[in-house]
Amino acid sequence: MTNNTPEAVQPSAAAGQLAPADLTPARRTWRAFRANGLGMGSAIVILIMIAIAIAAPLLAQFPSGYGIDILMPPSPQHPFGTDDLGRDVLAQVIWGTRISMIIGFAASVLAIIIGVALGVLAAYARRLDGAISMLVDVCLALPVLPLMILVAALVGPSVTTLVLVIALFSWPEVTRIVRSQALSVTRLPYVDAARTIGGSHIWIMTRHLLPAVAPIIVVSVVLTASRAVLSEAGLSFLGLGDPESWSWGKILFNAQRSGALTVAWWCTLFPSLAILLLVVSSTLVSIAYNDARNPKTREN
Amino acid sequence: MIRTFRNAFTRRAVLLGGVVVAMGVAGLTQVNAQDTTRLVIGTTADVVNFNPLVGNSRSDVWVTNLMYPRLMQMTAAGSKDPYVATDWGYSEDGKSAWLEIRNDLTWSDDTPFTADDIVFTITAIVTEKIGVTAGLVPAFVSAKAVSPTRVEFELSRPDSAFLSNIGFWMPIVPKHAFPEIGSVASFANDSNWVSAGPFQLTTVEVGQRYVLEASDNYPLVEAGRATIDEVEFRVFPDVNAQALALRAGDLDVIANALPAPIARTLQGQPGITVEKAPSLGWSHVLYNMKREQLANVLVRRALAHSVDYAAIRAIAMQGLAETTNSSVISPVLSYWADPTITEYTFDPAKAKELLTEAGYVDANGDGFFDDLDLSLLYEQSAADVANWAQIMKDSAAQSGIKISLVGLERNTYLARGREKDFDIYAGNWAVMEEPAAYLGLAYRTDGFINYASISDPQLEAYIDEAQAATTPEAVKVPVQAAAKLIHDQVYDNVLYYQTFQFAFNSDRWEGLVMQPSDLLSLVNPLSLASVKPKD
Repeated sequence: MTNNTPEAVQPSAAAGQLAPADLTPARRTWRAFRANGLGMGSAIVILIMIAIAIAAPLLAQFPSGYGIDILMPPSPQHPFGTDDLGRDVLAQVIWGTRISMIIGFAASVLAIIIGVALGVLAAYARRLDGAISMLVDVCLALPVLPLMILVAALVGPSVTTLVLVIALFSWPEVTRIVRSQALSVTRLPYVDAARTIGGSHIWIMTRHLLPAVAPIIVVSVVLTASRAVLSEAGLSFLGLGDPESWSWGKILFNAQRSGALTVAWWCTLFPSLAILLLVVSSTLVSIAYNDARNPKTREN
Repeated sequence: MIRTFRNAFTRRAVLLGGVVVAMGVAGLTQVNAQDTTRLVIGTTADVVNFNPLVGNSRSDVWVTNLMYPRLMQMTAAGSKDPYVATDWGYSEDGKSAWLEIRNDLTWSDDTPFTADDIVFTITAIVTEKIGVTAGLVPAFVSAKAVSPTRVEFELSRPDSAFLSNIGFWMPIVPKHAFPEIGSVASFANDSNWVSAGPFQLTTVEVGQRYVLEASDNYPLVEAGRATIDEVEFRVFPDVNAQALALRAGDLDVIANALPAPIARTLQGQPGITVEKAPSLGWSHVLYNMKREQLANVLVRRALAHSVDYAAIRAIAMQGLAETTNSSVISPVLSYWADPTITEYTFDPAKAKELLTEAGYVDANGDGFFDDLDLSLLYEQSAADVANWAQIMKDSAAQSGIKISLVGLERNTYLARGREKDFDIYAGNWAVMEEPAAYLGLAYRTDGFINYASISDPQLEAYIDEAQAATTPEAVKVPVQAAAKLIHDQVYDNVLYYQTFQFAFNSDRWEGLVMQPSDLLSLVNPLSLASVKPKD
């Protein structure tokens, strides 16, 4: 108890050596996360990718038109080589980073909003739990990829279509995880107390349940985003991407469609590496964050 | 006791496993032994329809062509040679036609192939309006088998292209093995095949392979039957996988036309030969006449002057394309082509002049004419078209025309085309070899493939005149006049005709016969009946 007094904290804080128990949960998590080399490295990779996505217009001209250097291997002029229309693959990967990240982020946010809302609602409103759980089970049992292909083909390819299609098929997993976490919280005394003092349902859900599942949401955002990037790459590779924009999946699709897949390795290697880097980094960041916020793994 | 049982069971299981493995090895050896007489052909799609009158995908045509013979054979210049039909002609007034067929052809169940089968086939096609062929024979009234080898046709008006159209476009089906007229189009024909081609389908493994065995009687080749015993169409995910399989020796022929990068790589490989074949069709863009902007000929002309044709042929097609001089009659059809027609020039300044003349302005100064946002519909998986669609968009921007790309998957693209739901339609016609016939299909108001909703009385008059003429000389004049009118009015903007490339294992096989277009190419019936293993 004495450790919690300001007088006791001050000397060691000044020395920059706060004991873990003296810190806020957020700072304890950050300290543990920072200590995880893989997690930090992955976070840096993601941050670099975000920076590339934001600064794409400064880094490379939008790949359009055509050039006379068709399917040229990497060279100082074209570090990632050129495609079958003589366009720079590096520029495609840079602009592809932007669209892939936008789709990943937007689809993830949309899926998280739907998933968290339904998950919290299912946990809090017991009468709706059965129906929502059944809906989640049904959605999880659906063959997602064929349905995504069907919807994307019928609606027509565009970035908006891809975001909506991916989000609409990604929320059930979020709902399931959030519901199970929120269920354990709804039984805690402080939720009963909030109810007893006359708190409204919305207030209880937003002020008590939502903060309790926030860490799960953070992990879900990152994982859902990486899955969304994979889904986008898959749909684009199947020819259902937006023909007006570049994404990593579209670069791969172009290589496959033009017959460059087995002829020009550079057309497939670099976008594939980008996808791999993002997905692995996202997964490692999620694991590192999960470990960092969990006191048991943190202590280990 | 249990242990003893287990040991005995284990021994038996091992023994049984050994026998199974031995049988498997024996089976493999047997297959290997048969490899010398089985030609393996790669395709990228399953056969969707085994009814040759209905099926229209390439895989459908490649497989059913080997079972249901056509009456005539296509030459490199698009004319027709005798095949099943030995002779044909028209009456003096042009209102009746006749053809004679061979008398030595039989169906695989030993029923003779007769004129009755031809009468049945054409009557079914016209009555049930099946496929493109129905649109190609508008003058047909009736057919009669006057002898087992002679058919006579009654026509409502003279039609110079009637016989050559049915000769190439109409596979003949067995009357005795097909249902009655009225149910032919819905007949799946997916088992117990009765055929009269060089091969007979025996095994169907969807997503895997289609195996055909040689028929005993195929008198259309010198040997009286195909030289090889079996043909296997093996389904691959895409042409990249086919190229790898060909290089590895697992595949003998690639049926699909090769993309230029793959063809270039295969050309250098020992034991692999890459052969070229001209297309009898062409690649083009159609402008939807139902759209207010595109109904204006000045806008269509501006669009025609906004295409970098040379870049499309040199970059997107990598040199494997030739100009048709912006004419709907390709120079490949040397007899019909009009040498006075010249290609539209790529001239953004002229395009801007035309648009200004049409009343368009760039009021907001963004470099694009206002109220002229057009979309270009194309099939996303067609590499060539997707590439030149991008070039077209970029070159149109130089003329101040904003084009947005709408690349769709095949079925949605086809549906949008049929429903005329597009501004600009990019695509290919595979075989356009008989101008008098295809002009009617593509440019008559009610033409079967008139996707652009073209309706021009003068053009229809030329087409009528061409179809009514009974000599080639009399057909040529209105056909060329129609082509010139289409060129001047920019009803269709033909960009090029393609040179296809196909590859096969020339270390193992010889005797393949190349025919024009990617529908026939190396996998036409004559070619597969003639191919033989190399000694």
